[in-house]
Amino acid sequence: MIIVDNIYKRYQSSHGPGKWVLEDVSFVIPRNVSVALIGRNGAGKSTLLRLVGGVDKPNRGTVEHRCRVSWPMGFGGGLQPSLTGRQNAKFICRIHGHEDDIPDRIAYIQDFAEIGDSFDEPVRTYSAGMKSRLQFGLSLAFDFDVYISDEVTSTGDASFKKKANAAFKDLVGRSSLIMASHGEGTLKDFCSAGIWLNKGHAHWFDNVDDALKAYKDSLKL
Amino acid sequence: MTTYPDKPLRTPLLVTISVWQALFLREANTRLSSGRGSTVWLLGEPILHTVIMLLLFTFLRVKVVGGIDVLAWLIIGLTFFKVFKNPGTQGQNAISANKVLFTYRQVKPVDTVLVRVFLEGFLVLLVILIIASAAIGLFNVALWPDDMGMVVLAFFGLWLMGLGYALITSVAIDLIPELGKIFNIMMTPLYMGSGAIIPLSGISEPYRSWLMYNPMAHGLEVARAGVSSSYHVILGTNIAYLYECALVAIFFGLALHLRFQTKLLTQ
Repeated sequence: MIIVDNIYKRYQSSHGPGKWVLEDVSFVIPRNVSVALIGRNGAGKSTLLRLVGGVDKPNRGTVEHRCRVSWPMGFGGGLQPSLTGRQNAKFICRIHGHEDDIPDRIAYIQDFAEIGDSFDEPVRTYSAGMKSRLQFGLSLAFDFDVYISDEVTSTGDASFKKKANAAFKDLVGRSSLIMASHGEGTLKDFCSAGIWLNKGHAHWFDNVDDALKAYKDSLKL
Repeated sequence: MTTYPDKPLRTPLLVTISVWQALFLREANTRLSSGRGSTVWLLGEPILHTVIMLLLFTFLRVKVVGGIDVLAWLIIGLTFFKVFKNPGTQGQNAISANKVLFTYRQVKPVDTVLVRVFLEGFLVLLVILIIASAAIGLFNVALWPDDMGMVVLAFFGLWLMGLGYALITSVAIDLIPELGKIFNIMMTPLYMGSGAIIPLSGISEPYRSWLMYNPMAHGLEVARAGVSSSYHVILGTNIAYLYECALVAIFFGLALHLRFQTKLLTQ
């Protein structure tokens, strides 16, 4: 269960505090419910995912985890550009306390990412698609109750999308997802509930179809 | 997909220890493998520095400073100042260099500074051991300590001072980036006034007492006194003063990290 209580978020700009990105956002994600995060570009989807993932802190309000939550996958975050894919993977294994079974996990990550010899090249040489392949493999190598995906599949090619979908399907029943995506099909496939972000406010829908409908209606106006 | 048996939740201490291990390996890797020169330069820079200063002192026909050979005097001053400077200046940039890693909740800004200061202390210790053994073995410089305890005390005090400096400046630079330039400028007078390359004994009162407010001056004098019991220590040298300054700086630095932790993580 993840409890988001009354959070406010704005970023510091070069001339003082910026506009509120999120205002008075509250919701509770029950156990084993996958949630789609919907909203137009700049609505605050990534910001909310970073807050839920504990990477960033809200200016006001609290985010409480009552389960193991992954870091947000997507946008090349969490990869040190000067290190190779393998070195990054080892680092992440170590901070998660898996010093003893690093070879197993590396093998799994390498197999999942399918980036070939580039696994031993610095991450700064990677394309966006390669980065998301690696990131996706990295987070799946650890057991989390909730995985956070920030458009992690959007930069991938067809084969990676297929693989990602199969992996998401595999998670059903064991873990849940919070995903932001502009692919309506993906959202409908994997999520039962939806959050529609609009003008800094979050609207919770028990059914993802209702959330998508509300989002589309707002675009027509 | 392979599944792994669930592990019980780790205690905060265990998490911190594994973060330190992982960061240490990461830091050591980038520090020693980035660019061909990085490993060579680690040793080459202090050696070159020593040679240049030695030439200068030879031109000035100075052979003995404070009762010990000028080469021994220089090597101790130059390398031991680095015990403060390397951890201090490298640790100062630890947060910005590791920003990406804050994606993982386990990694806190203070961890990156602590690990870097530890790594730099370890590297500078290696540099000192190599240079000292080379100087003793090849040039017969009297560098074997008469009182090892004093040398260790000085080393540790200077390193703690570097830790305090890094803890404070890392936060300050993240909050106000312009301060980075000021800290860099500040380092030069600290170095020149510490007695690392310019003997403080040649400076008249009351100015010498003013320079002795620099805690590093005390560390360097004690290190020299530890190496040679015949060294004439500057009046007013007090190792306790170095430790007092270091502890105050460390506490202040840790307080800053605690106070601004959220701000350091927030973009």
